[in-house]
Amino acid sequence: MMLLLRELKIMLRSPAGAIQSLMFSVLVIALFPLAITPDPDQLEPLGIGLIWVVTLLSCLLAADKSLAGDYADGSLEQMVLSDYPLWWVCLVKSMAHWVSCALPLLLMAPILGAMLAMPLDRIVWLMASLVLGSPILSLFCMLGAMLTVGLNQSSALLPILIAPFLVPTLILGTQWATTGGEAFYGYMLAALLCLSLVTLPFATAVVAKIAVSR
Amino acid sequence: MLQIESLSCFRQDRCLFKDLNAKVLPGQALQIVGENGSGKTTLFKILAGLFEEYDGRVITAAGSLYLGHRYGVNDQLTPVENLKFLLKLNEIQLAPGLLMDALARFQLSAELDQPCAALSEGQKKRVALARLILTSARIWLLDEAFSALDAPGRAVLSEVCQAHLASGGILIFSSHQGIPEFAAAAQLRLEVGS
Repeated sequence: MMLLLRELKIMLRSPAGAIQSLMFSVLVIALFPLAITPDPDQLEPLGIGLIWVVTLLSCLLAADKSLAGDYADGSLEQMVLSDYPLWWVCLVKSMAHWVSCALPLLLMAPILGAMLAMPLDRIVWLMASLVLGSPILSLFCMLGAMLTVGLNQSSALLPILIAPFLVPTLILGTQWATTGGEAFYGYMLAALLCLSLVTLPFATAVVAKIAVSR
Repeated sequence: MLQIESLSCFRQDRCLFKDLNAKVLPGQALQIVGENGSGKTTLFKILAGLFEEYDGRVITAAGSLYLGHRYGVNDQLTPVENLKFLLKLNEIQLAPGLLMDALARFQLSAELDQPCAALSEGQKKRVALARLILTSARIWLLDEAFSALDAPGRAVLSEVCQAHLASGGILIFSSHQGIPEFAAAAQLRLEVGS
């Protein structure tokens, strides 16, 4: 709990990162109709996919920054040496990443959906799919961030490394929302979330030990 | 007690050190001496448990506290918040008064309510060092803890270290400056390219 509070405090005192990833997403959604077509009939089917892709990209782009500070000032070393279980530290970092990247987008989803002429029921399914899917993105992004933290080209390496792992989530999430909640996709997405929650923090913890010994 | 037995370490096919032996008993200090690049920081990381690719044995009979070149002070948090966090990592809960006293000992009392970004490098280091006063760890691993500090800061740190030794603690430190208080400490010398 103390770790989570610390993350949130740091985030609130330097909100530039969270604002930047939200601005990126809102701008893409705002520019898309201008560049393609303002016709609601053509825009509406694109909405779910577009907002999902934007969520995925903003999570991916913010990932390396979420650990760079802790690595540079030595907090990461101290967390590895602490009495807290390391998987818990990694889970908290993933949660903090989710709060700074995915949560603002989730809250903005009704507005973004309206900008793409989506009807209300589709917006609701979009939000439901993001609630289930975006934590998986954050868990994977934290694994990628831990793998590349401290490397010279980490921000270039990370998306290439992690993007393939995000594709199943993207497919299941968008399909679930597009089909209006077909049970198969929903169950698969929920299963993927459970699997990620119980495995990825442990994998990230193993990688964290390697990261601090570099 | 802390004991090092025939410790060797290779990094990127280069031998950093070979066959190190040392034994430090409660109340004793050990200075790690060596030029830049001789592997002092790696040795500290091995002793702290951060680096595990070595041959030989390291036996530690108590909890240790490691302060390296990067000492875990976050720029967005105030000195009190930083210190509280670092102590809680080792599940030490303290009354705020004790935190203030520890920070005051390191001459940090005017800066307590501003983020550490506003502090100088030496002051940030003092925030991390204030942790030494409150920790329960018996083995202190201080990698270049005396650098970036001014003369009064070094004096306070030496006092704190001496009190730690007097109470039966173990101190392992490295320093490029001569610390007169510890001139008599045992030394472990690392040679470049040995």
